[in-house]
Amino acid sequence: MTRVILNDLWSRKRRLAGMFTAVLVGVAFLAGTLVLGDSVRNSFGTLFTEANRDTDAVVRSTHRITAEGVTAQGDIPESLVGTVARVDGVTAAAPLVEGQAQLLGVDGDRVGGNGPPTTGSNWVTPAALNPWRIVAGRAPAGAGEVVIDRAAADDGGLHVGSRTTVLVPQPVPVTVVGVATFGGADSMAGTTFTAFTTAEAQRLLLGRPGALTGVLVHGADGVDQSALVARLRTALPPDVTAITGHQLTAEQRDDVDRAFVGFFQTVLLVFAGVALLVAAFSIYNAFSIVTAQRARESALLRALGASRRQVMIAAAMQGLIVGAVASIVGVVMGIGLAAGLYALMGAVGFGVPDAGLTLTASHVAVAAAVGVAVAVPASLVPAVRASRVRPIAAMQEGTTEATAPSRKRTVTGLVATGAGVVLVVAGALSGGFGMVAPGALLTVVGLVLLGPAVARPASALLGTPSTVLRGATGSLARRNAMRNPRSTAGAATALMIGIAVVTVFTVLAASIKASIGDVVRRDFHGDLVMVNNDPSGSGVDPALVGRLEALPEVRDATGFGIAHAVVAGSGETVAAADAAALGRVVDLHVAHGALADVGPAGVAVSQRFADDHGLAVGGHVPVQFGNGAGADLRVGAIFDRGSTFGDVVVSEALWAANTQQPAFTGVFVSLADGAPFAAGRAAVDRVARADAAPDVQDRAQYLEGVSSRVDVLLAIVYVFLALAILIAFMGIANTLSLSLHERTRELGLLRAVGLTRSQLRATVRWESVIIALFGVIGGVAAGVLVGWGLTRSFAGDVPLDVFSAPVGLLALIALVGAAAGVLAAVRPARRAAKLPVLTALSTT
Amino acid sequence: MAVTTSDRSAAPTTTRAVVSVRDLVKTYGTGDATVHALAGVSLDIAERRFTAVMGPSGSGKSTLMHVMAGLDTPTSGAVRVCGVDLARLSDRKLTQLRRDRVGFVFQSFNLVPTLSARENIELPSVLAGRKVDREWFDTVVRITGLRDRLRHRPAELSGGQQQRVAVARALLARPAVIFADEPTGNLDSRAGADILGFMRHAVDALGQTIVIVTHDPNAASYADEVVFLADGRVVDLIASPTTARVLERMKAFGD
Repeated sequence: MTRVILNDLWSRKRRLAGMFTAVLVGVAFLAGTLVLGDSVRNSFGTLFTEANRDTDAVVRSTHRITAEGVTAQGDIPESLVGTVARVDGVTAAAPLVEGQAQLLGVDGDRVGGNGPPTTGSNWVTPAALNPWRIVAGRAPAGAGEVVIDRAAADDGGLHVGSRTTVLVPQPVPVTVVGVATFGGADSMAGTTFTAFTTAEAQRLLLGRPGALTGVLVHGADGVDQSALVARLRTALPPDVTAITGHQLTAEQRDDVDRAFVGFFQTVLLVFAGVALLVAAFSIYNAFSIVTAQRARESALLRALGASRRQVMIAAAMQGLIVGAVASIVGVVMGIGLAAGLYALMGAVGFGVPDAGLTLTASHVAVAAAVGVAVAVPASLVPAVRASRVRPIAAMQEGTTEATAPSRKRTVTGLVATGAGVVLVVAGALSGGFGMVAPGALLTVVGLVLLGPAVARPASALLGTPSTVLRGATGSLARRNAMRNPRSTAGAATALMIGIAVVTVFTVLAASIKASIGDVVRRDFHGDLVMVNNDPSGSGVDPALVGRLEALPEVRDATGFGIAHAVVAGSGETVAAADAAALGRVVDLHVAHGALADVGPAGVAVSQRFADDHGLAVGGHVPVQFGNGAGADLRVGAIFDRGSTFGDVVVSEALWAANTQQPAFTGVFVSLADGAPFAAGRAAVDRVARADAAPDVQDRAQYLEGVSSRVDVLLAIVYVFLALAILIAFMGIANTLSLSLHERTRELGLLRAVGLTRSQLRATVRWESVIIALFGVIGGVAAGVLVGWGLTRSFAGDVPLDVFSAPVGLLALIALVGAAAGVLAAVRPARRAAKLPVLTALSTT
Repeated sequence: MAVTTSDRSAAPTTTRAVVSVRDLVKTYGTGDATVHALAGVSLDIAERRFTAVMGPSGSGKSTLMHVMAGLDTPTSGAVRVCGVDLARLSDRKLTQLRRDRVGFVFQSFNLVPTLSARENIELPSVLAGRKVDREWFDTVVRITGLRDRLRHRPAELSGGQQQRVAVARALLARPAVIFADEPTGNLDSRAGADILGFMRHAVDALGQTIVIVTHDPNAASYADEVVFLADGRVVDLIASPTTARVLERMKAFGD
């Protein structure tokens, strides 16, 4: 039996090529993602292990809040260095001061950032506890002297002796006195590094002399790290603790994973999942067609004495073999892909430490197993169908004309689609994401089930233009798309899913843009904006606001910062601003209380937050900052919508007092009445430039900036989804090839009675376009519905108040889909047209 | 009427050749495995006549028909259809010639399954982008008795009806010649007789030229002339054949 299976498989290799490729591409993407993630993660692990090699323990504050990759922590007194040094088993203790320092290059542009942190620190001594080695110049010895990493020096055109500026976030003039490398590498994973003397670091980064971020500890040989930590802890005051060097390494690795690798990988995995889902549908369809085509062969096997089981196993084995071989090749290709991407990340300065590729056996196995897991079930259903063929069918004349879609399937599809749509609509209207998500899933499943029932009328409708435009060939194409609704629907379904996902993202992006535009137009009363778009760079110096307000051209200037704090017991990202001043530039839609009443010890919260926590104006909310300091804040105002500034706005004064290096994320400016706009802007520009602040934007520029950032994200999403769409079109090409193969004799007949080669190609092309349009239109419709549901269910949240379906863009997607249908038809059409008439006619 | 170069025909001198082939050779394979399907055939197919090509299996009769119809190319020799040398035609021109000047009836699988009987009949005209001559269409449909079957799909027609649709399709384009490859091979004798009757009628009443390939002496008896092929050569001709005479001649081949 095995022999029969293998021979059969080999003789059909061409027909299986499409399925093979679908699995292969999906698995390669998945394996590439996993291997890349492992490699990046492992490289960082190696890097941190290297950096902390001689650090046996770290002493630091117990107060820490880590949220969204940012850690806020309290500081400890410098006197603890002595305490630590006296602990038994400690051979060296070094003060550590860490913060953020944005280095400017020789041209005044920011160096680094956009992902990797811009680290500022003290130059750690003794050298045993400092992973940095000076390769040029010397260590900083006085105020205004810094050591920077070699990558930053190269990037910024800086060298020993260069004078430049560091933003902390206020601009500080510095002289580069040394260039250092990190364990031989030019930078630590793309992070920029600027080291001051300890005293300067304390003044600039902590804002307090006599304070430290931590103490690095080197233990005597033979002293176990945990034993050392235990001894340290007994010597430390209550709000200071110690962790081992190993724990520090693990923590740093986890931080990178959470902040960067993990997120990146999750996103890639989602796209790999979409691609594999589409691949599964393509494979299922291809297997269904092949199985139907060789129904007579299965019947012959049955007639010759094969059991139903054997016939089924024979069919399923083919799925297993295709899946297994494609998975193995896919994994190999994926590893190659990861190697390429890894090299690319290094080349474009993504700041990934180069520690080579890491192959985790379990992840490689998972990628391969997923390929098989996609292929086998996709072949199982057709296999069961194959086994149901009666032996007598072998003797019967007859083509493999499609059977009508089953009533049960159609009814189930209708019910699922109906229920899904109801859930989406209900969820959208009630703002329940929990209803929209399953509703979306149910709608798509329902549409997949409905496919075959809809395929015939849909093809008839979609094919009408081709009949009108192309006469005989168009009409033949339309009939061909209609003749086997199962395979038409199968090919279109894969595309539909891919296009639906594309559409959801397109709609969400458009809605986000529209919503932000709406907010800016309606609620923002200012004239100029400065926004820090680089979360890893320094923000805007809060002192800038005072300087702007001093300008005669400026009526109001205010800024807001972002803080991570524990509010009413749970970690929240909160905004910090002078509520009264903010209210003068931005309409927060205050429902209760007044922003002017919030004050330094007050808080403004959204209606939703107030409802969730049973708060009213005059109530109190406990807020604790990263340094451990906290207060019960009085609710001074409740605003209507949670847009733009989140749910909680604490006072700028309180935030600044409890935050290391407080910096504004955005600054809003209203010009004085009667001041000419151009003059006002020029004045603001001058002040901002002197501070190396972000570009000053007017309202239109600001909106444009937001739009273009959303567009960039959308473009990235499109690139990743292109893979799924590609697989879907390979599925269409495969379906066409298979059905043309089935129609070989008919093609011969058509050619014999006068169909020219180009007419034949046109017929195949139009059929492909009809299938593609069926999928694209279904996908766009489902995507718009789901996108609408998601947008509506988020309504009231940032920043999705407005639903927007970009008609032009969606039409373009449909058009591109139809055009891609033409492309998918190229190969099958060419092959069919090449077929000699006589050969085709004599095919049985 | 078919006329060989060694003319022994009783054909009227007024008829001209619709198809003429000269020194036609068709070989398959090379070296020891070379098979001469046609080993030098010269033949003229006369206008408005019903010609049957017969011969034992492997005699080259199907190959001859395929080459004459422009479905296959000869190894050497010339084929002219309506005076046009097929060797000079591109695939496109050849397809157009098949569409416009040649009609086909195959043994089976004659019709496009997705099209109705009417659409199948009109297919070559539609492919050519020509308007269908309504009057002529009605005539053809009347002759073939398909009036109330026009809306049916091939799967809904009997074998005999399907062949009648094929004949109607061939007739509709008023081709210079219709080639039929074992047109009755898959039919019972009554349906077969029907088809042959239509063809005879088409020649007599409509002046259609028809060539059929068959191994059925009864089918051949409907023809004006029978051309016998053996081993890739024309070996004999019988004018005004009867079933008995054809049968007798075939026995001589030991077929």
